[in-house]
Amino acid sequence: MGSWSVGNWPSFDPHNFSQLRPNDPSSKKTPITYHPTHDRTLPPPDQIISSEAKNILLRQFYQRGDEKLRPKRAAPENLAPEQECKHPRASVALSSEPPK
Amino acid sequence: MSTYNYVVTAHKPTNVTHSCVGNFTGPQELNLIIAKCTRIEIHLLTAHGLQPLLDVPIYGRIATLELFRSHGETQDLLFIATERYKFCVLQWDADAKEVVTRAMGDVSDRIGRPTDNGQIGIIDPDCRLIGLHLYDGLFKVIPFDNKGQLKEAFNIRLEELQVLDIKFLYGCSKPTIVVLYQDNKDARHVKTYEVSLKDKDFVEGPWSQNNLDNGAELLIPVPPPFGGVLIIGEETIVYCSASAFKAIPIRPSITRAYGRVDADGSRYLLGDLSGLLHLLVIVHEKEKVTGLKIELLGETSIASTISYLDNAFVYVGSSYGDSQLIKLNLQPDSKGSYVEVLERYVNLGPIVDFCVVDLERQGQGQVVTCSGAYKDGSLCIVRNGIGINEQASVELQGIKGMWSLRSATDDLYDTFLVVSFINETRILAMNVEDELEESEIEGFCSQVQTLFCHDAVYNQLVQITSSSVRLVSSESRELKNEWFPRPGFSINVATANASQVLLATRGGNLVYLEIENGKLVEINHAELKYDISCLDINPIGENSNRSNLAAVGMWTDISVKIFSLPDLTLKTEDHLGGEIIPRSVLLCAFEGIPYLLCALGDGHLLNYLLDMETGELTDRKKVSLGTQPITLRTFSSKNTTHVFAASDRPTVIYSSNKKLLYSNVNLKEVSHMCPFNSAAFPDSLAIAKEGDLTIGTIDDIQKLHIRSIPLGEHARRICHQETSRTFAICSLKYNQSGTEDSEMHFVRLLDDQTFDVKSSYALDQFEYGCSILSCSFSDDNNAYYCVGTAYVMPEENEPSKGRILVFAVEDRKLQLVAEKETKGAVYSLNAFNGKLLAAINQKIQLYKWMLREDGTRELQSECGHHGHILALYVQTRGDFIVVGDLMKSISLLIYKHEEGAIEERARDYNANWMSAVEILDDDIYLGAENNFNLFTVRKNSEGATDEERGRLEVVGEYHLGEFVNRFRHGSLVMRLPDSDIGQIPTVIFGTVNGVIGVIASLPQEQYLFMEKLQANLRKVIKGVGGLSHEQWRSFYNEKKTADSRNFLDGDLIESFLDLKKNRMEEIAKAMNVSVEEVMKRVEELTRLH
Repeated sequence: MGSWSVGNWPSFDPHNFSQLRPNDPSSKKTPITYHPTHDRTLPPPDQIISSEAKNILLRQFYQRGDEKLRPKRAAPENLAPEQECKHPRASVALSSEPPK
Repeated sequence: MSTYNYVVTAHKPTNVTHSCVGNFTGPQELNLIIAKCTRIEIHLLTAHGLQPLLDVPIYGRIATLELFRSHGETQDLLFIATERYKFCVLQWDADAKEVVTRAMGDVSDRIGRPTDNGQIGIIDPDCRLIGLHLYDGLFKVIPFDNKGQLKEAFNIRLEELQVLDIKFLYGCSKPTIVVLYQDNKDARHVKTYEVSLKDKDFVEGPWSQNNLDNGAELLIPVPPPFGGVLIIGEETIVYCSASAFKAIPIRPSITRAYGRVDADGSRYLLGDLSGLLHLLVIVHEKEKVTGLKIELLGETSIASTISYLDNAFVYVGSSYGDSQLIKLNLQPDSKGSYVEVLERYVNLGPIVDFCVVDLERQGQGQVVTCSGAYKDGSLCIVRNGIGINEQASVELQGIKGMWSLRSATDDLYDTFLVVSFINETRILAMNVEDELEESEIEGFCSQVQTLFCHDAVYNQLVQITSSSVRLVSSESRELKNEWFPRPGFSINVATANASQVLLATRGGNLVYLEIENGKLVEINHAELKYDISCLDINPIGENSNRSNLAAVGMWTDISVKIFSLPDLTLKTEDHLGGEIIPRSVLLCAFEGIPYLLCALGDGHLLNYLLDMETGELTDRKKVSLGTQPITLRTFSSKNTTHVFAASDRPTVIYSSNKKLLYSNVNLKEVSHMCPFNSAAFPDSLAIAKEGDLTIGTIDDIQKLHIRSIPLGEHARRICHQETSRTFAICSLKYNQSGTEDSEMHFVRLLDDQTFDVKSSYALDQFEYGCSILSCSFSDDNNAYYCVGTAYVMPEENEPSKGRILVFAVEDRKLQLVAEKETKGAVYSLNAFNGKLLAAINQKIQLYKWMLREDGTRELQSECGHHGHILALYVQTRGDFIVVGDLMKSISLLIYKHEEGAIEERARDYNANWMSAVEILDDDIYLGAENNFNLFTVRKNSEGATDEERGRLEVVGEYHLGEFVNRFRHGSLVMRLPDSDIGQIPTVIFGTVNGVIGVIASLPQEQYLFMEKLQANLRKVIKGVGGLSHEQWRSFYNEKKTADSRNFLDGDLIESFLDLKKNRMEEIAKAMNVSVEEVMKRVEELTRLH
């Protein structure tokens, strides 16, 4: 009872496992335990990653503020007074810490 | 006081949680990378199979392990995320042979509810971002820039709160995830989202699919050309993409693991909870999916992870049974299975319970674990040290030396065993019936003690006595030549090999002879200043018949010297210091590295690296093996040479990864050993011990020996009974008949030698065995097995009914002699003051063993104590009772005899959810809780107020990173009462990951020394991936994080011995002690496990 789907197994290197002797004690040898003493266990400083401090709400609030501030093609010159007064507030939000 | 504790791993985790395959160590090298919770193992695929390269401890519990290929790289990087919200990206530096950290970080949020279904970590197939689902309602993104560098992480709100799985879809122009989730009506759906990195938000994805299989739990993304995702349910498998939807029904099963076979994603291996391996095939036409097909391949261990390796070989990692290397055959075997299991890798996990016994009555503990789960359940016998399997034994007192001899130089086997006594020498030989009988070598002198014997070239034998050296033909057995020392100068010590003899006479005279055909020729002699205590000329150079170096140990100036042969020129010497003379020296080579071993009269052993050219001795190390003089001899086992150190604590010295290791031999005291390889007893050793001569074979040379007894069912509790020499276990058997799963629970009695099941007692329907105990009662010396049970009814939150069953063992059968109904689950049973103490739901209850009028016995309730949520774990000491509660930490009760009452004395007011408790001493109690921490609390008897006395003070805290199910007092190693290490009390623990560990309570001075060493080691041994050891070992739960205290990490401390010399010196200098001193003290601690 063969099967059309069982077989034709992919091969990266045909030598792999070609000389396998089952229950060979050397295959169960415990590998060396790694104890690094070098300094490259720490990544370059710019690759120490942290999470953005702003929470999602503030980020979206600010993003929307940004979008609104973006000059619209329809009214490039005259910004509405409310929008003008929102400008400084948005920059306050930018520098403030998220609520704790 | 057991305040200062040292925690060390005796058996590393074996539960395989993750695995992946890729080109990690080189572009052309294929690696299998395995995660075992807190360690990763890197293997290389070779023609000979899997070659283990490196075992890498990770300072965290691994939640995610993924290999990925960043832009422009030729080999894969490894992404690891830990349960404590750290992550790192590792790279292999092939030139330096080091693991280098490319990036790392902390992805924890201050606010957020950790996900119930575990953490998810995924990498976009086009390497644009890493996605993490760690908290409900949040999806964390770590973006890559176009150079493959990681950037600041951010959160995106995820509407779905009950997420079961998330994967990235292949072949999408924008990174797209597919989310499998459950809604608040318990229906399951999938939904796709595109991740907009610019807006840091989700955009509705290209498709979604509602109302999937109620058991759908696993998503498999399908690579191009098909794309889309497979959704694995319990009754159906669905393929879903923007353009296609295909479904097939399957036999009901819970699939936990999958492995992709083909790069184009057309075939997958699926492993389910009953250990069946299926092949799922995507049927396609012109790159369009037209259907699915599933085929049963065969049975494996219950898989937690499956990795297709190469050329039809597959790695099956398991949490519940042994992991396996399997081969998928092209044709099924007679049972219809395509699966051939080629290797099994023993897994002890989950260790649900264990007991410590001394089955061979050698004064050394063995651990018998309840390991594995479901069909892969087993008992495992774990034993430290090397056993001798006795083949023959005779009583012989006063043996002073032993040597084996062949009857011809090129014989394969030894014929004679020369046994020397104080004033005679006896010769034993194998007769035709393969029995050892007394024989004779005519040319030997048998009326005196033999100092040394050896086979020599030209079919000759050499015997050295105090008066002469005799050369004898091994064929005719007649004396051919004899050499005498100068009159008045008797021979004190001597050694020989096949062609050389070196001996020392009184007054420090060293004489060197060579063996020729029928002739002994004196070549050289030297007069040394002092008397010689020991000698060796074991050939370890290219010529196996002669040595160019001689090692000599000296009286008076207490030194070892290396002389060259044949000229007897002093090449080098080392003064040992102290007043203890060297008693045995040995030149030997381990893994091709030459060493000089030098054993002292007080049980210490020195080892040096030996330069074969110059004779120079470097890298001196000192260990303590025992307390009595040591005799060193080499022997071979499995074609490798090892050294046997005979003493009051016999030890085998061997080498692994070019490091010398010392393993106990499980014998009490050995005065002499010699290899004896005869036809009847091949590869055996002759051992002189305690008035016996024993011939036996030796175990494989390794530290821990594990024998597993498959049960085919899940053992949950175990205990041993000395009087009946049996074990009793509580176990459950899963039956799968058709679609209905059912469980049957049993109490089983096993022989403690053969582990055969002798008797079984079936519990009622719904009745679980919860606890088991072997005990006897006041005024009844019979030993009984007591079993506590619970009726687990589907409609009840907590069991409201249980039983205590009392069994006697009669004719190796379980006889129920009494039973008592209880009002809840009997979580724990303890022998207590000749009575039985039970923990039943929230109550502690004491029962008396009463004699009825008809002569039968019954359990009668005496008193109890309420006030627990669930009293799960109980230990007692005298009248004190320590209770580990489900969620109220540890409390201390006392039994008052006069009042016949149990009262609470003190408690720990922290809200720890306990998993095990143990009493370390009268005042200090040890607990393990479900956030993988250990802690100790102290009874405060001297407190000024009731309030103070009523509080158990937390004195020690430590993050073990392992879930402990059981503590037991005991030791895995033979304890010598007169050694320092023998005085240290130890507790053994067993964990879900299959770890067996030891907690040793150290004296304060030793603790402080080791604490200092640990602090210095932290600076030198860096955490892989930049993870901090200090943070890893800090006590951590939802409420708090606190620095570890009064616990030391023995694994870190013992890794001192693996360091390079200069690093050791660096540390020793910082501590103001000698390297030798640190090594000796650390070596001593390694002998605790």
